Order: sequence, then structure tokens, then C-alpha cells
Amino acid sequence: MSDAKILSLREAVASVPDGANMTFGGFAAYFTPMAFVREMLRQGKRDLEMTSVAECWVADHLAGAGRLRRARFSNFMFEGMGRCYNFSRGVERGEIAVEDYSHFAITSRLVAAGLGIPFLPIKPMAGTDLMQTRGFEAEKARPFACPFTGEPVLLVPAARPDVAVIHAARADRDGNTQLFGNTCVIDEQARAAARVIVTVEEIVADGVIRQQPELTVLPGFLVDAVVEVPFGAHPTGMYRYYDPDFAFLTDYYAASRDEAAFRRYLDDYVFGVPDPWAYLQKIGIRRLMALRADPGLGLARIHARTLA
Amino acid sequence: MSEVTRQEIMAVAAAREIQDGEAAFIGTGLPMVAAYLAKFTHAPSAVLVFESGIVDARPRELATGVGDFRLLHGCVKATGLYYALSLLQGGFIDIGFMGGAEVDEYGNLNSTAIGGYARPTVRLPGSGGANDIGSLAGRIVIMMPHEQRRLVPRVQYLTTPGFLDGPGGRERAGLRGEGPTRVITDLAVLDFEPRSKRMRLLTVHPGVTPEEVQARTGFPLLLAERVGETPIPSAEQVAVLRGRVDPEGIYIGKKG
Repeated sequence: MSDAKILSLREAVASVPDGANMTFGGFAAYFTPMAFVREMLRQGKRDLEMTSVAECWVADHLAGAGRLRRARFSNFMFEGMGRCYNFSRGVERGEIAVEDYSHFAITSRLVAAGLGIPFLPIKPMAGTDLMQTRGFEAEKARPFACPFTGEPVLLVPAARPDVAVIHAARADRDGNTQLFGNTCVIDEQARAAARVIVTVEEIVADGVIRQQPELTVLPGFLVDAVVEVPFGAHPTGMYRYYDPDFAFLTDYYAASRDEAAFRRYLDDYVFGVPDPWAYLQKIGIRRLMALRADPGLGLARIHARTLA
Repeated sequence: MSEVTRQEIMAVAAAREIQDGEAAFIGTGLPMVAAYLAKFTHAPSAVLVFESGIVDARPRELATGVGDFRLLHGCVKATGLYYALSLLQGGFIDIGFMGGAEVDEYGNLNSTAIGGYARPTVRLPGSGGANDIGSLAGRIVIMMPHEQRRLVPRVQYLTTPGFLDGPGGRERAGLRGEGPTRVITDLAVLDFEPRSKRMRLLTVHPGVTPEEVQARTGFPLLLAERVGETPIPSAEQVAVLRGRVDPEGIYIGKKG
């Protein structure tokens, strides 16, 4: 055991090169490594590529700051609100190149990489523009007849991002990582990526992970770096820690409709704060405490009317 | 009881499509309202699966999204997206619900882009699980507002397959399931005529005429032998919708 994998947020972000092909944990308004993304913007990371499923908050931040060059992905949408304005503007202006997949297809590309095989056969996407209308990908998928039965399938090639950034509940210094709740695409992303950086709500003592091994999403030997960032998913939520900050998300979405307003958001909450602690101070302790999960429910009481 | 809203009629029509014991792949909004209503009334054993990796959620409060912690709390299995979508490809999902910006007469949907792909006029969210559901679920129910710019002769980008280019289209592409079996709008309930696979008007909601439906559709509709009226929600259904499923009227509309 050593502390070699434990990095500061600044060090972990500094290890990501410009132009990296990245994949981020989380789904919609949940489990998203937002503190990492804010630090990426502060450090000026640029020309980035995303291999994505539904990391809307990451894509919209990177796009709005002009740092996203291209994205292969299946869906960027703020649930209950609508399309991602910053991302959409970037595509509409020709500044961001896109390649669209279904959720299952893009995830299958990650699975193939994690399995160490060059491709996987899948059923969806056939017959649609997801197959027929191409973006930047040299080869996206290939129709194929099953050699045993002749059944038509599509072959999708393995996708290997350079870096996966995952926000989880807790990890120990070896990088053994646990998450409460649904696990999104974490396992597939981590096994596909060349490097895996995990940010967590808390780094726990040696042995804690082994007490409940059923909660482990990533064994430490798959993890390259561990960063402790409490509330590191804010404004998205972490099950059993805190809810998504819906009021913040609503304000963000309003700002994202307008470039000048979004610039002010970035100045206020990203460039105007030096580190995650200053960010949390700006959000305010009263607000953060109100988002805290009730231990019995896993979510905050303010958002649970009748669940108790 | 105040007058029922069109959204309530839509929710009840959609709920009716879920049979007891079926596994349903559910999104946010009206499909979730319909699924909860089904669970609270005629289909208590229906299993609700969400692409976020939440399996057999217990319907208590309406969720704001498919990954909402209110769905997670008390569900049977919390897993990943790949597992949830594998259930579709594995043939375990009986029915799926979806919407889109555009639908054509064969039930193909666009949720990707308007006005070109690489440099569109309006970039939309993209397929997400929609193409997976449309390609693989046993039956598909489409729900959308009935507008001429949405029900179009040809979708600008075919994100999610209905019957593709018509009879035999799904089979040629190797897709699974029956394809779309219902289209539920704020004006009418439609299906697809079995031989031509073209959209067909089944019933109009109270106060709506077939002519009005056609006028707000961008392609010629086939007509059922006898176009009836969509059943109005029962008193019990309305009570459950307003009292338990959506007491704030977020999706079923405000009552006056």
C-alpha cells in the first residue's frame, strides 16, 4: 500500500493532455465529475474529443467554453429542460464535429475495448441514418451476416478513449472504488480507457472497501489516480450523499440560452473560483446542507414528498 | 370532477397499452405518467425499466428524469446502462415509449437534427436509447403533439426505426419486435395498417374531428373502417392521475 495514486485535483487535471479523447462518468444530472471539468476549464484544456453516452453537463460546459472539438455520443439532453444549448450552438456553427450512436451502440464500442476484442456485433442502428449518415468517423459500423445463422447484425469497432474520468462515492488509496446506486457506464468506460482517473466524495481507510465488496465498481488495479473532492459532482447529484441542485441547474440552463449570460456563469463559477473549496464556499453551506441525503432514503428530504 | 385535459386522455390511452405483467421501457414525461397510472390501476405487476440502469422501479413520486433518485429508492435492481439496454437486445422488454421532433407515415422518428446533419439548423439531443428501443422492444408506442411540422412525409434524419421504408423494412434490417403499434397525440390515437404499414387514424379525442386531424398531419392518413372516439378517462383513472400520479399537474395539465 502506498499513497502514490492519490493526487490533488490540480495534478490529476494537469496529467490530461490537450486534444485528449475523453469519456466521463455519470448520467444526465447524476454522478458527473463536475469539479474535474471546472478545473479542466481553468487549466485551459482544449481541442478535446468526447466518447460519450449521456454526459450532458460535461459536454455543455466544454462546448460553451469553446474547448470541444468533436464528439461521438448518443444523447446530450438536460432531462426535463431540453437540448444542450452550448453544445447545439457549437454543432450548428460547424465548430464541433459529431458522430451519432444509439446508447447501446456507443456502449458496445467501449465494451469491445474492455474485452480486448476488435469489434462486437449488435442489433440496433441498422436501417437508420445512424448507420447511413456519417460524421467524422472513418468507419462507424459495418453490416454483417452471422457466419452461423446468416442473421443480419452490425459490427461496431472497439473504442479506446485516452482518459476516463469517473466520480464515485468513495475509494481507498489503492483506487478500489465504490458507488451507491445505479452504475451508469462506469465499468465499460473504465475498462476501455487507457488511463482512469477517479474523483470521490471521500477517501476511506484501508480495509473499508473489503467490508462491502458488493458495492465496488472498479477494483484498484484498473485505476490510475484517485482525487478526493467532496461535493465533486455538484450541481449533479450523488446517491446517498446529495441530490442534484435543481435550482442551480435551472439557472444554468437559462444562462446557457445566451452566450453573454453563459460567459458570466463561467466567470462566476469556474474562472472566478481558484479551486473546489472556493466553489463550495460560493455555493454556500446552507444550500449544500439542504441537498444532503437522508440516510434512510438516499436522497434529500426536500425532494422527497412521500417516500419515507 | 372538472373537465379532463387532452394530456389526461393521452396518459390513459398510453396506460391502456401496458398489460399486467409486461416489462416496459420508460422515459420521462407523459410515458412515465402513463406507466404509473397503469401500475396503480390495471397493471400492478408491470415492470418498469429505465435506461439509466434502474430496474423494476416502485412508482411513488413522479421523477424528473430516468436517473432520478426517487426511482432508485426502492427499485429491485440498480445496475448500469449497458445491462438495461441489453435487456432490450435480449428480447426481455415487451413495450417501449418514445417521442421525437418528427415522425413519418411509417412511424420513423427524428430526434437528432433539423436542416442537415453535419451542420444543422437545429441540433437536437440525439438518439440516446430511442433507436435501441425502436429497434428491439416488442411493441413501440409513440407519443407526441399533433402538428403538421411534426407529422411529416419524410423525417429529416431517421434516428429511430418505425417500419423504415414500409412492409418488410424491419425484417430486411434485422430488427426485432413488431415495431410501432400506436401513435398517441393530443388529438387522436393512430396505429399502422398491417399490410401497408402506413399510419391509420383509429380514434379522435372528444371534440376533435377526423378532418381536423388530417389537416394537422403532413401526409395522407389512412382511416380505420369506423373512426371512433377515444374513450374518456374513467372517474377512477382521473382520480389516480390527479391524486397520486401527478398531483401538481406538471404533465397532465392544470385543472380549472
